[in-house]
Amino acid sequence: MDELLQEFISETQETLEALAGEVVAWEADPSDRDRLDAIFRFFHTVKGSCGFLNLPRFERLSHAAEDVLSEIRAGTRTADHATVSAVLAIMDRIAELAEAVAIGAALPQENDEYLIGALIADAGAPAAEKAEEAAASVAVARPSGTQAAPRTIRLPLALIDQLMNGVSDMVLARNELSRKLRERSGDPELESAFERLSTCVADMRDAISKTRMQRVDRLFTAIPRMVRDLGRDLGKRIDLQLEGGDVEMDREMVEMVVDPLTHIVRNSIDHGIETPDKRRALGKPEVGQLCLQARQSGNQIVIEVSDDGKGIDTTHLVEKAIDAGRLTKDAVIRMSEAEKLDLIFQPGLTTADKVTAISGRGVGMDVVRANVERIGGAITLQNRPGRGLTITLRVPLTLTIIPGLIVRAGGLHFAIPRSAVVEILHDNNETLQIAEVGGAKIATIRSVRHSMIDLEHVLGMEKPEQAGPRAIMVVRSASGVPFAMGVSAVDNHEELVIRPASPLIMAAGVYAGMTLPDNGKPMLLLDAGGLASAAGLPNIIDDPAARRSSEDQEREQGVEMVSALRFEELTGERRLLKLSLIERVEDIDAHLFGRSGGHAFVRLDGRLVPVVNGQHDFAAEKVAALRLRDGSREACYPVAAVLDIVDMPAVPDMVAMHGILSGVAVVEGQHLEVINPFALFAALPDGPLREKGSGRCLLADGDDGWTREILAPLLRQAGHEVVLGLPIDAPIEPDDVLLFSNGDTAQAVDMLGCRVVQLRATPRPTGPQDESIYRYDQDSLMAAIAGVRR
Amino acid sequence: MNQLYLLATLAGTRIAVETAEVEAVVKLTDITSVPRMGAHIAGLSALRSRVLTIIDAAALIRGNATPTADKRLAIIADISGHSYGLMVDAVHDICQLPDGELPLRGQLDKAWTPYVRGLVEHQGQPYLLVSLAGFIDNTALPQAA
Repeated sequence: MDELLQEFISETQETLEALAGEVVAWEADPSDRDRLDAIFRFFHTVKGSCGFLNLPRFERLSHAAEDVLSEIRAGTRTADHATVSAVLAIMDRIAELAEAVAIGAALPQENDEYLIGALIADAGAPAAEKAEEAAASVAVARPSGTQAAPRTIRLPLALIDQLMNGVSDMVLARNELSRKLRERSGDPELESAFERLSTCVADMRDAISKTRMQRVDRLFTAIPRMVRDLGRDLGKRIDLQLEGGDVEMDREMVEMVVDPLTHIVRNSIDHGIETPDKRRALGKPEVGQLCLQARQSGNQIVIEVSDDGKGIDTTHLVEKAIDAGRLTKDAVIRMSEAEKLDLIFQPGLTTADKVTAISGRGVGMDVVRANVERIGGAITLQNRPGRGLTITLRVPLTLTIIPGLIVRAGGLHFAIPRSAVVEILHDNNETLQIAEVGGAKIATIRSVRHSMIDLEHVLGMEKPEQAGPRAIMVVRSASGVPFAMGVSAVDNHEELVIRPASPLIMAAGVYAGMTLPDNGKPMLLLDAGGLASAAGLPNIIDDPAARRSSEDQEREQGVEMVSALRFEELTGERRLLKLSLIERVEDIDAHLFGRSGGHAFVRLDGRLVPVVNGQHDFAAEKVAALRLRDGSREACYPVAAVLDIVDMPAVPDMVAMHGILSGVAVVEGQHLEVINPFALFAALPDGPLREKGSGRCLLADGDDGWTREILAPLLRQAGHEVVLGLPIDAPIEPDDVLLFSNGDTAQAVDMLGCRVVQLRATPRPTGPQDESIYRYDQDSLMAAIAGVRR
Repeated sequence: MNQLYLLATLAGTRIAVETAEVEAVVKLTDITSVPRMGAHIAGLSALRSRVLTIIDAAALIRGNATPTADKRLAIIADISGHSYGLMVDAVHDICQLPDGELPLRGQLDKAWTPYVRGLVEHQGQPYLLVSLAGFIDNTALPQAA
C-alpha cells in the first residue's frame, strides 16, 4: 500500500479513537470551544488529506461534518443532541472506511447520503424534541481537563523487543566483565571506568523498560462513547467520571484489561444503574454516577469501577443458582454473604431476568475473572444492595518484571513470585510444629494448620542432608488455600524478568515461566497453584462449611473445639461425628430396617427415614442408631456402639476429604476419623423417601402361589403397600405400580393407566423386545418399582 | 537442488537436517536441569540473553538419558516462538546434496519412525533426514502422560 495512504489511515484511526471521548464531553458542554475546535480540526484534516489522496467518500463525509461544525462555531446553530449523534455517526463511518482501506478490503457499500442528510436535516428539527432527547446525555468529567498531548513517534513493536533483548545481552556481558575484573588484580582506574559503564547500562535498561509502559488513558478512551451509547439505548442518564488516566502500565497489560473492563462497565449500566423514573421513585438523583478510577499501589494497578445503582441481589442470585441445580438448599444455609456474592462468578449464572443485547446472557463475570486471574490479577466486589456496587480489579504493573524470591531445593535454584509468599520461617522456629501422619505432613503455625509439602518431594528430587535449618514458606496461589512448602533455603530477593518457558516445560504444570538472572544461569519460576495440585493437596476451599470453620479458627487465633460423639462403626472403626447434628441416640428393632430402590431406610414412627451408611441387615435384634437432623431432613446412622462425648478440633488435624470422611482428628492420643456431615446428607436420596401409600404395588396375579408367598412378603418388607389382585372397589391411581408375570395380562393392563413391571420366570429374556425382569433379580426389581414410580 | 543440509550424528546414527531449520550449532557450557521432566528434556541453557530448552534427542531414541559428560553440542532452532537446542554427538558438514530427498527404504527402527522424513545421500552414505520440529511436537505426547 502507498506509504502516504497508510500514514493517513493510521493517523485517522488514532485521532478518531482519541476524539470519541471529546465529542461526548463537548455534547455535555457545548460552550467548550477547545473541544469543538479539536473536532473541527479533525474533519478539516481528513477533508484536506483525502482530496489529495483521492478518497471521495471520506471527503464528502468530512465536508458535511465540517460544514455543520463551522455553523456551530459561528453560532448560527446549536450543538444539540441529534447533531452530536449525526456527527458521531459520520465518525463511525469514517472509521469503517479507514479500517476497510487498511486491510485492503472492499469499501462497505452503504449510503453515506443518509448520514449526511441526517446531519443537515437536524437543523430544522423541532426544538422541543431536541430538549427531550438531550435528557439522556452523559456528562464526562476529567479532573485534569484536556492535556497537551506529549510529542510522540510511532515505532514498530519488533524494534522495541529487539532493543530490550540487546540491553539484556549488554547486562549479561557487563556481569561477565565484572567477574573477570574481580579475578584480576585491582586497577582503580579501570574499575572506575567500568563503574561508569555499569551505571550507563543500568540506566539504559530502566529507560528501555519504560518503552513498554503506556498511560491508562488508552484504556479509558473508548469508555465515554460506550457509556453514552448504552445510556441512550437504555434510556438511562449517567454521569461518568474518569480518574487517574495518567497512571502508566505495561502495554500488554493494557490490552489484557480492555475486555474485562468493558464488560464490567456494560454490566454496571445495564444491570446496575436504574432508569431515571425508578431512581426518582427510590429517592436517588435521576442521574446515575459511574466512576472509573485507576491508581498505582505498590507494584499493582488498581482499577475501580463503582456505580450507585442497585447492587447485586444475592437472594435472587442464590435462587437462580438453586434453579440451575448448582446448589442445594442445605448448602445455601451454610453460605456467608460473601460466598453468595461470589456466585456471580459462576459460569452461566446471571442476575438479569431477561437477556438483552447488552448483557445478561450469563457469559460474563466468570470469563472476566478468568481473564483477570490469568494475568496474575484479582477481582473483588463490594456490594451495597440498593445503593451500588464497586468492582475492583488489581493487576500487576507488568507481565514481565516481577519481584521474586530465589529459593534453593535439591541443589537447584528456583524463583517464586513474591506475591505468592505469605511468610517464611525456619523449621526450628518455636511457633511452628510439623507433624507427620500416614505420609501427610501438617505444619501448624501459630495454631493455624497448613498442608505441608517439600519442594524436593513434589519435583521428584533427592532431599539432601543439610546442616542448618530448612526454610518453611507459607505459599498462597491466586485462587486456593495457603499451604506450607519446605525448601533448603531462601537465598535472595530480586526483580526478575520473566519470559515464557517452552510448552514442553509448561506441560509439567508446576512452572509459570523462566528467568535469566544476572549470573547467566537460567532459572525456573514456580507456579504455586500448580505445585499444590501436583502434590494433590486437598483444596478444602471447595467446601464452604469447611472454609468457614477454618476462617473462624484463624479469627480466634486458637484451636476451636466442638463437641463430638465418639462411636464405633459396624465395621469396627472408631469415628467422630459433630454432636450438634445428633438429635438423639436410640436402640431400634433390627426388623424395621429395610432396603428400597437402592437406598437403605428404617421405619420410624410411621415414616421412612434414610439410613446414611446403607446398612440394613443386622445380626442382633436391637441396633444402636444415631438420629441425625440437618434442620429439615433427618437420617439414621446405625452404629455398633456409642462410646462417649469428646471435644474435637473444628477443623480436623489432617484434612483429607474422602467419601463421608473429612479428615483425621487426634483426641486423647487416639487417631479418629471425622465424619463429614455435609457429605453425609449430600449422599441421601433427594427429597423425602417415598412413604407408604404414595403408590401401591398391585400384584395382578394374586392367586399365583409365588406371587402370594414370595413376592408379596418381599415387597412388604421393602416398605411397599401391597394389594393382591386388581382392586375392584378402589380406582387405580397413576402412581400405583402393577406387577404381573402372566403374558396374557399384558394386553389387558395397557389400558389401566398406571405404570407396569412385567416379571418372567426365566433368567434370560426371550428376545430383544422383552423388557420384563427375572423374578429373582431383586435389585432390578426394586429399581424398576422405584423407577416407574418416579 | 540448492537446498543445504547439515549433516550430524545423533545417537550413533547419521542424520541430516535442512539448514532452513537450523539457527546455529553451539557448544553447551552449562545446563540447568529441570525436575519433574522426562529424560528427553536435558534442561535449560543460556545463549547470550536467550534461554534454550535443551532436548536430549538421543534419550528419545535410546530411552535413557545421555551422560552429562557427553552433553556438548547442540543444534539451535526456533520452533513456534521458543528457542530449543537439540543435542547431537557430532556435526560433520553443511553441503548441498545433488540427489535431494529420497524415499525411505529398508525397515527403520521403530524408535526413529516419528522423526524421520526421508533419506538423503552424501558421498555414497545414506543419512536420515529429520525435522527438528518433529522432535519437539512428538515429545509433547509422552510428556503429557
